[in-house]
Amino acid sequence: MMEELAALAQWHNVRFMAEGLWITLRISGLTIAFSFILGTLLGVMRYSGHWLLARIAAVYIESFRASPLILLILLFRFTMPLKPVNSGTLAMTLFTAAIVGEIVRGGLNSVDKGQWEAARSQGFTWWQTMQHIVLPQALRKMIPPLTGQFITVVKDTSYVWVVGVQELTGKGVIILGQHGSTL
Amino acid sequence: MDRFAAFKWQALFRDWHILLEGLGRTASTAGLALLLALALGVLFGVLATAPWRSGRTVSRLYVSLIQNTPLVTQVFFLYYALPHFDIMLPTPVVGVLGLGVYHGAYVTEVVRAGIQAIHRGQLEAALSQGFSYVQAMRYVILPQAAQIVLPPMTNQAVALIKNSSILAMISGGDLMFQADSWSASTGYYGPAYLTVWAIYFAICFPLAQLARRWEERVRLSRGGEVTAA
Amino acid sequence: MGMKRKWGALLAAILAAAVLAGCGGQSKAPAGSGSGDASGLPAQVEKIKNAGVLKVGVKEDVPKFGYLDPAKNVHEGMEIDLAKRIAKEIFGDETKVEFTGVNAKTRGPALDNGEIDMVIATFTITEERKLSWNFSDPYFTDYVGFLVLESSGIQSWKDLDGKTIGVAQSASTRAALTEQAEEDGITVQFMEFATYPEIKAALDSGRIDAFSVDQSILWGYKDDKNVMLPDKFAPQEYGIATKKSNTELAEFVNNIIKEMKASGEMDQLYEKWGLK
Repeated sequence: MMEELAALAQWHNVRFMAEGLWITLRISGLTIAFSFILGTLLGVMRYSGHWLLARIAAVYIESFRASPLILLILLFRFTMPLKPVNSGTLAMTLFTAAIVGEIVRGGLNSVDKGQWEAARSQGFTWWQTMQHIVLPQALRKMIPPLTGQFITVVKDTSYVWVVGVQELTGKGVIILGQHGSTL
Repeated sequence: MDRFAAFKWQALFRDWHILLEGLGRTASTAGLALLLALALGVLFGVLATAPWRSGRTVSRLYVSLIQNTPLVTQVFFLYYALPHFDIMLPTPVVGVLGLGVYHGAYVTEVVRAGIQAIHRGQLEAALSQGFSYVQAMRYVILPQAAQIVLPPMTNQAVALIKNSSILAMISGGDLMFQADSWSASTGYYGPAYLTVWAIYFAICFPLAQLARRWEERVRLSRGGEVTAA
Repeated sequence: MGMKRKWGALLAAILAAAVLAGCGGQSKAPAGSGSGDASGLPAQVEKIKNAGVLKVGVKEDVPKFGYLDPAKNVHEGMEIDLAKRIAKEIFGDETKVEFTGVNAKTRGPALDNGEIDMVIATFTITEERKLSWNFSDPYFTDYVGFLVLESSGIQSWKDLDGKTIGVAQSASTRAALTEQAEEDGITVQFMEFATYPEIKAALDSGRIDAFSVDQSILWGYKDDKNVMLPDKFAPQEYGIATKKSNTELAEFVNNIIKEMKASGEMDQLYEKWGLK
């Protein structure tokens, strides 16, 4: 048993897994950054109640929230002229943005409407009120659900193995395939 | 538009029963997994708020162990690794167990939040009336908590249905697998993926809307103090 | 009101960025021309020449065909050599190839979306597939084989009666074996997996009784705990695939294959890689 474990710990296997870890981290990092930007935008759009922007945001959020991530990853892989790792990151970003959008909207909703009236009566514009008064307060409420969602993103990167991207899970399966019979 | 050519759609409609079989497997797996998740969630959710430290620790351990590892890894462990320890679970069981235990951890958090939202005085009142802890939970706290947890619970159900597509990665015969396998053998993936997306949407969207409506109602009846869990 | 316009502008900017990003993968900056004589090359081949590199989808886990050696980090195998040979024909330089790893599931779509110019990846020619892609004449004929655990005691294909066979999604194995099983009056079940390592893991864990794909692929997974059954079925002819609309490119590639077969160059390749 010890010999087999030693075989697993060989340098090229360690490097192999480290590559997987790096891909996992890169996909999750990009997904978190971009989905936060796009999600905030979507959340504010939906919250704004603007006849067109709110509707666009709602359609976007509901369509992406109702689809399995695995399906999006496959669909994007097969219909976009992108490398698998990029189409996977894009699918994850667009999917996560829909969820972030709902978290942002929830956060904004939790801020007392009275704050709006107070700020507007002080001569603040809509955007100034949003930027300086409402969004910072909402952000504080959003931190726990956002953290949870971003942890989920790191976990969800394992889905991109389905299109052959060798992230951590994929590398693990390959090693299992090579050394499984000795276990 | 090659990938959505008419003859590819015709081929899909000719083989429609393949998708139907997949839908059946998705429904049965998701249904059973949901029951398991509910059972685990109520059990560990009650433990999380129990007066005994060991109960809280066990619950905490379960939730953090499950919530901090990917579902794919957990399912692969059940599927590929357990047989090396002479535990060969059939694929459908791997699906139900994997999904049930995974979402059970999230349901635990929902149930815990629901119980904590009920005023502590109610528990004390019930206990002082001679109820045991379990009785107080069963007859006083949980029925009230149920109303609060309904919306987030529905969201968990939606997440579970979507995540059941994980079966596609272990030859599980679910909707996603059937579409994937069919499009892989024919090469006509365009119509297959689009159709499957529409089916998932038709199931998940109404459920999500239901959750939203309930959430709104709970928020109104509780004076806006409860935010999305 | 001002803010609303600002949001509109922001949205437009994001949409524009998304569209640009979507096209980015396809737009190719013409590389410095002037290398060699351009005349005589069909337009679709000329387009690749202008791009400066031939993009080929290859296997990375099939020793002797398409294999990415983890220690050396270079692609090698007979299919890799074929790709280099085609690059030499186009550019006069066999190093101008960019390899993209594909598996049975991803190779077709990668052609369709223009990510790669051709697939040379143990891709079996079938009538159904010919509707979706162009195939060259076969450059190799392989057979479907079986890898079983030595401890299972399975000696032949007939011993697989009532057993479960693991196959790769998108491979032509399943259809071929179903037919063979009917002929021999035995029944077998199938499980499908997206990748070969997953089938191997399923074999090792006892989820399946046999791992069945083309023998060339199976040899890569042979170890001291498993054995190759003597039976082999269903000739699998490998062809080079191109996008359906790239008919000129397909013809160009096919001429190279024909020439290599006629001149004996193909036999040299078999010899080099110990095939046949």
